Amino acid sequence: MIRKHVIALLIVPLLAACGAAQTSSPTPIPTQPTANTLPSATANPSVTLTDGLNRTVTLTGPAQRVVSLAPANTEILFAIRAGSQVVGRDETSDYPVAALSLPTVGGYSGFNLEAIVALHPDLVLAGGINTPELVASLEHLGLTVYYLPNPTTLEEMYTNLETVAKLTGHETEAAILVDSLKSQVAAVDAKLKPLSFAPTVYYELDATEPTKPFTAGPGSFVDLLIDRAGGINIGAELSSQWAQISLEQLVVINPGVIILGDSAYGETPEKVAARPGWGTLTAVQTGQIFTFDDNLVSRPGPRLVDGLEALAKLLHPDLFK
Amino acid sequence: MLSVEILTVSYATRRVLDHVSLEVNSGEVLALIGPNGAGKSTLVRAVSGVVPVESGYIRIEDLSRHYDLLSLSPMQRARLLAVVPQAASMPPAFTVWETVLMGRTPHLNFLGQVSAKDESIARLALQKVDALDLSERRVGELSGGEQQRVLLARALAQSTPILLLDEPTSNLDLHYQVGFMETVGTLAHHDKLAVLVALHDLNLAAHYADRVALLVGGEITAAGTPQQVLTPELISTAYHLQVQVIQHPFADVPLVLPGNK
Amino acid sequence: MMQQGQDGSRPATMKIHPYLYTLLFLVLAVILSIAIGSVYIPPLDLGRILIGWLDRATFSEPLKTFAFILTGIRLPRTALVLLTGAALGCSGAAYQGLFRNPLADPYLIGVASGAGLGAVLAMSINWPYSFWGLLAAPVAAFIGALLTVFLVYTLARVGKTVPTTNLILAGVAFGSFATAITTFLMLRSTGELHRAIAWLNGGASQAGWEPVLAMLPFLAMGLGILVLSGHALNLMQFGDDQAQQMGLPVTRARTLILLAASLATAAAVSFSGIIGFIGLIVPHVIRLWFGADYRRLLPLSLIGGAGALLLADVIARSMIAPQELPVGIVTALVGAPFFLWVLRRAKNQGYW
Repeated sequence: MIRKHVIALLIVPLLAACGAAQTSSPTPIPTQPTANTLPSATANPSVTLTDGLNRTVTLTGPAQRVVSLAPANTEILFAIRAGSQVVGRDETSDYPVAALSLPTVGGYSGFNLEAIVALHPDLVLAGGINTPELVASLEHLGLTVYYLPNPTTLEEMYTNLETVAKLTGHETEAAILVDSLKSQVAAVDAKLKPLSFAPTVYYELDATEPTKPFTAGPGSFVDLLIDRAGGINIGAELSSQWAQISLEQLVVINPGVIILGDSAYGETPEKVAARPGWGTLTAVQTGQIFTFDDNLVSRPGPRLVDGLEALAKLLHPDLFK
Repeated sequence: MLSVEILTVSYATRRVLDHVSLEVNSGEVLALIGPNGAGKSTLVRAVSGVVPVESGYIRIEDLSRHYDLLSLSPMQRARLLAVVPQAASMPPAFTVWETVLMGRTPHLNFLGQVSAKDESIARLALQKVDALDLSERRVGELSGGEQQRVLLARALAQSTPILLLDEPTSNLDLHYQVGFMETVGTLAHHDKLAVLVALHDLNLAAHYADRVALLVGGEITAAGTPQQVLTPELISTAYHLQVQVIQHPFADVPLVLPGNK
Repeated sequence: MMQQGQDGSRPATMKIHPYLYTLLFLVLAVILSIAIGSVYIPPLDLGRILIGWLDRATFSEPLKTFAFILTGIRLPRTALVLLTGAALGCSGAAYQGLFRNPLADPYLIGVASGAGLGAVLAMSINWPYSFWGLLAAPVAAFIGALLTVFLVYTLARVGKTVPTTNLILAGVAFGSFATAITTFLMLRSTGELHRAIAWLNGGASQAGWEPVLAMLPFLAMGLGILVLSGHALNLMQFGDDQAQQMGLPVTRARTLILLAASLATAAAVSFSGIIGFIGLIVPHVIRLWFGADYRRLLPLSLIGGAGALLLADVIARSMIAPQELPVGIVTALVGAPFFLWVLRRAKNQGYW
């Protein structure tokens, strides 16, 4: 019993920091996901796709009653203007605001199968944060489940948008969205062209223990986006996606910028400066500590591009004047 | 009849019992005396099968049948030989009745289902130790003397020809000691059990034992009637203490007293 | 003078009442578990569905959905929780008796840590999404649990005997070791982390009857042996020496009971995850209320454990519906104060 709690205590804050944080986001909204259009008409409405678990999923037509089980999925659905076809969401799906009025069907602590069945969904959109057991349970109950795998690159994220569009009949909107996201990325890339100096970045996920905080390691979107935004993620040298780094190592590396992905938990530059031993860091002395909306970089949906832009502006404010 | 023959027991490399031989006939009380650490408890435990025996034999003769105790299962052994353990170490939550009925175990199946016969035997056992009125009480509520009687009743419920007692009176006051040993004597002399009782109190042994065996350093150094064994020479040597032995003013038993002349 | 009846036994009511109470409690818990869920099914509709089943009627909406929720979700879940609670309650009582230790629970000698390690190991491999792939984690958990018990038992062995102190120490030591590896694996892994946590918190079981059917034979065997071991456990309360002097083959009986309890616990844990507290508290409550006779304590703890876990599950489902709490939190959150209340009021103080 105790042993189990030790594990949970160890892991839960770190996980929460990585994906399930509920924050109100002050960042600009790239697409206006409120209005919605009818599914685009096609000759053959039947859709057959292979999902992230290698399951073959067949829909007789675009899904009209979708339950989303991951915040990224909800954001994708609304971004491709399928918002009005969503009838249920997981409890951490808090974006866009319109999603908040949907009934929740559980979430991190467990999904409520009864609530999902009672919504009569014709598609349950599961994501990388859901377990195969959950998918199996839903399938067992006769529901159509599509498991959207976690993307590892921006390209894969675009593919996910197109996949969800096929499932819900919004290919046209998705194509427009992907184009606009690509040009947004291209614009950031262009601004960063004259880049001569890439600062080292420490992205903080959890500092419950300030002597050995968690940071984003290789393979995470944070790592990918910091690199793309013209920074050097010091966590890239570590060995797992959620990696613990010792304060000693941090002092030796002495990152140029500190980004507080855990600002949703009340971490502020002032608090960081007050942590014992942290005052020696150059970033602390020069005030290069910034709060950041972690949801922009932890949810593998279209807002990753906003995250990229926000990071680029933060790391190279001079280039975005 | 219980006979222990050239029994040797070792804990790791230390020899605790060294070629011990003794006999207890039915209808008699044999008191096992000796200083602390002499091996009295070990002998009782070895004979009851809970301590592995290095070499030797333990035989029982009952109703003209012969048993080799070391080759028997715990169940078969418990039908021949019952033990009243040292001090009271009973779970407090059971009632006296439940505890005594558990003595019937060697005659029951794995489930412990009791018949009317088992219950009447248990009731008789309680009667013999004068504890029938305690039946419904929880063991934890009893005094030390009452607990010791319950343990004796539990051993009697096993309906065995042999009874082993391991220092049963060490926690009792004089009144209970005397009462308890009186009962033990009756069981041997009246019910014809063979009783082996390890005792600390030499005068209690002198008073209630038909024969006495003196165990010193894992060896039997003397055995015989109380008069034969409880001599100043034997006791002084065994206990490393000067003692005087005088005659009891009223009974035909010796009294052992510490002190020089 | 003669306080008991002529046959020497205690009045019959003393033996029947505990079963009556606990069975009533279990029936109530089952009804609640079927009636209460995040989707409200009016009692009248519930009745109609039940009657409809007898008539083999087909339902129209909304009864159709309600009937589906009942058969597809609530009944199998109720059965799974019932079996799990029964296994934990009964095994807990057996472990406490076996180790003569009031702190013993079914996880004392490493079933939980072994199962956890097995499950996390299985999850670190990317199994295909298939019947067997999905079964990998529970099967690995089951094997991990039994392997741990076997290893602990072997390590604790001294010659022909297995001292309980050795078992506890070996169990705790090996358990810590297994938990350390589990934690290490979880920290090193990335994608499947949430799955491991969900499993460890007892929330990863599949819906449907398959888990129920899979654990049933092991539970039947394990709990069947335990329920019949009451007399042996009673004797063990006197300590190994006395138990053996009374005729119990102590080592053999202990091995059998240990194996039976571990089998039942391992099967339950493999599909339901690690649910704490039930196996510790239920036997104590039963003991405080109905006495320490293991012949009664074991079956009563089985019934009581099933009822208690069902009730905890109902609370877990409805407290913050439509979200669900991990049932392990509820068992401790509600179970601990309840137990303390029982403990304060108990007349049998000190007779654990």
